[in-house]
Amino acid sequence: MTKKQLIFIKGTKEGLVLRLDDQCSYTELLDELAKKVSDEGFEGQAEVLLHLGYRYCNDEQTKEIISCVQQTEHLRVTKIQSEVMTVEDCNRRLLENQSETYVGIVRSGQVITALGDLVVVGDVNPNGRVVAGGNIFVLGRLKGIAHAGSSGNKDAVIAASWLEATHLIIDSVVETMTDELTVLSEQPEMECAYLHTNGSIAIDRLQDLRLLRPNLSTFKGGS
Amino acid sequence: MGEAIVITSGKGGVGKTTTTANLGTALALQGKKVCLMDTDIGLRNLDVVLGLENRIIYDLVDVIEGRCKIHQALVKDKRFEDRLYLLPAAQTVDKNAVNPEQMKELVLELKREYDYVLIDCPAGIEQGYKNAIAGADKAIVVTTPEISAVRDADRIIGLLEQEGTIDPPKLIINRIRQHLMNQGDALDINEITTHLSIDLLGIIADDESVITSSNKGEPVVMDPSNRAALGYRNIARRILGESVPLMSMDLPKVGVFSKIKSIFSK
Repeated sequence: MTKKQLIFIKGTKEGLVLRLDDQCSYTELLDELAKKVSDEGFEGQAEVLLHLGYRYCNDEQTKEIISCVQQTEHLRVTKIQSEVMTVEDCNRRLLENQSETYVGIVRSGQVITALGDLVVVGDVNPNGRVVAGGNIFVLGRLKGIAHAGSSGNKDAVIAASWLEATHLIIDSVVETMTDELTVLSEQPEMECAYLHTNGSIAIDRLQDLRLLRPNLSTFKGGS
Repeated sequence: MGEAIVITSGKGGVGKTTTTANLGTALALQGKKVCLMDTDIGLRNLDVVLGLENRIIYDLVDVIEGRCKIHQALVKDKRFEDRLYLLPAAQTVDKNAVNPEQMKELVLELKREYDYVLIDCPAGIEQGYKNAIAGADKAIVVTTPEISAVRDADRIIGLLEQEGTIDPPKLIINRIRQHLMNQGDALDINEITTHLSIDLLGIIADDESVITSSNKGEPVVMDPSNRAALGYRNIARRILGESVPLMSMDLPKVGVFSKIKSIFSK
């Protein structure tokens, strides 16, 4: 009986694709992988895409597989693909992509946090704080602190019917509404704040958001 | 079964105690049976404002710790026959001497006998505040036209809104000086109410006689010709469910006064 092949190597334009069998045991796979990597006469420097198929590997196992492949200096893992994810990951991703709505006033001392986008229907009063992993939209007066893209999203924006925040934070860039910025936004109605390419927070008319962040719109279709 | 209303503000010195004393008196003048409860344990002064200081024998902590019955601790205000009572706070211990559960029980017991139980809350948002709001059904937030007082009021309203058991708080703006508002040097009433976005229960003019009457131990509301007194009387009527238009802060015409007077001198 011939042993089933556990690892398929394919060459593509971008580099090598290593497709790993997802039915055999993990140790078996690792053994085979080590053998394969040392056996084959690799030359030069090849970039490798690892495809795990329907096997779930935790962080540690993924690291182990990568280091196994990179035993030979000819191979470098650039990407890992997998068809599966844990329920936990899935839920987190759902939360990160969903938009949460808070109806009411965020008063002094209150903190409203969302993993994804946050829509506040009401005012954010001074010393009130709204934090979102994604964007923040305030249908009301934003007079407190707004922190968008809190999990490291530099593209996040803060938009408000009335943008008069004491502090604007996007990713980890903090902007206090100093005099210069107040001059920038002398008419605080219908404005948005975003992270400018120069690394500081800029404020613009809400209408310009369409051009500044074209990917913000998720709406498909229409006529 | 009566109603327990807590009077709070967050910031100190905006007139919680004065408001409690005057509203209680105004409600008693309207014929309601009222109990005022001072929860500022360790820094009591509602008794002083009411002029009942030297009649205190037992206090709130004595009641809670079972050293006396409630009726023994209640101080009757003789000016109002059988309608106004004070449950004084203790002065020798601090706010940790009682807990919210005990307060709840005490307020519940008082509500059985009185139409209104007004709870004077201490400044701050710590133990004293938690004790004060524990038994309340409604809340009144007092503020003045100063940014610091409005900020603290905002914080307090946020905390009160999180208490599921208390109705949405109502606002009293105290110590209004019309000339400052007209000049734009103080926050105006509209600005404050839109910022805090809660219902306005009433406004009280700043008046020197509030201070002098407190020192005499006679709540200002007993003088029907006073501007501040009128504000308190209006608020009392609104609490009783009447709809009373907001008083004008400009010097009132004689006609308005005599009209109000006639209501109270029935």
